[in-house]
Amino acid sequence: MSTILKLFIFPAALIITCLGVNTILGGHITPGGGFQGGAIIAGAFIFGAVIYGLKDTPIKFSHDFMARMESAGALAYVFLGLAGLIFSGFFLYNLGVDIYGIVPIYIKNIFNYPDPINAGIIPYLNFVVGLKVLVGLSAVVIAFLGFKGQFNEDEGDIEEIE
Amino acid sequence: MIYYAGPLVLGFLLGFIIGSRIKFNAESGLKFTIGSYLVIIIAALVAAYLIGPYPYYKDAPLASGFLATIIGIFVGKILLGKDIKEADIKDKNSP
Repeated sequence: MSTILKLFIFPAALIITCLGVNTILGGHITPGGGFQGGAIIAGAFIFGAVIYGLKDTPIKFSHDFMARMESAGALAYVFLGLAGLIFSGFFLYNLGVDIYGIVPIYIKNIFNYPDPINAGIIPYLNFVVGLKVLVGLSAVVIAFLGFKGQFNEDEGDIEEIE
Repeated sequence: MIYYAGPLVLGFLLGFIIGSRIKFNAESGLKFTIGSYLVIIIAALVAAYLIGPYPYYKDAPLASGFLATIIGIFVGKILLGKDIKEADIKDKNSP
């Protein structure tokens, strides 16, 4: 790739990452959310991976890192759901808002997201969904780039990896 | 003035996670100096000002989550994002 692209893409990827996080964190109050923000962050990673190549890209998502983030996102989502089930009897009950008034006040304070509109657990759900999506979409592209050049078009079959 | 900790903390956390994965490969020939990082910070400040705060947020005229993320990226890069040196690559390749 050209030198101009190589100079531009890394700073642009950082700014795009910030925009993705901003989209995730504003998911309960503005258009966007976990999936959209996660896709934007994955886009920043893909930007670097396509321009610099998988080996030389500055943002490196290793297999272990992706497995950890994916697991952490899924477990945090289930934890928030189970917390609602335990304290209120409803799975994924919004403990921070407590619209039915059935949860003790200290539980409500623990799960309430500190912002002006009293969103409860919605931003936390956006956060964990964002983690899962950014890692999931990045993993797809890493797999595609990893298989680059291994597909034999004449035979229509995948060659053996050396 | 009330500062809302939500976007600051979660933005910093996500930025830190991604910043810790920024590792330059010595073989790639890429080199970004302190000056280039300063330019990124200034660009992020301008972008945060132009994006503005979320609706109903009256704590600052900037996108606080955006700024917390760029700070988190740099902190994560400084603390955990060690560059990959040529010696490490040679060690890995050697039998």
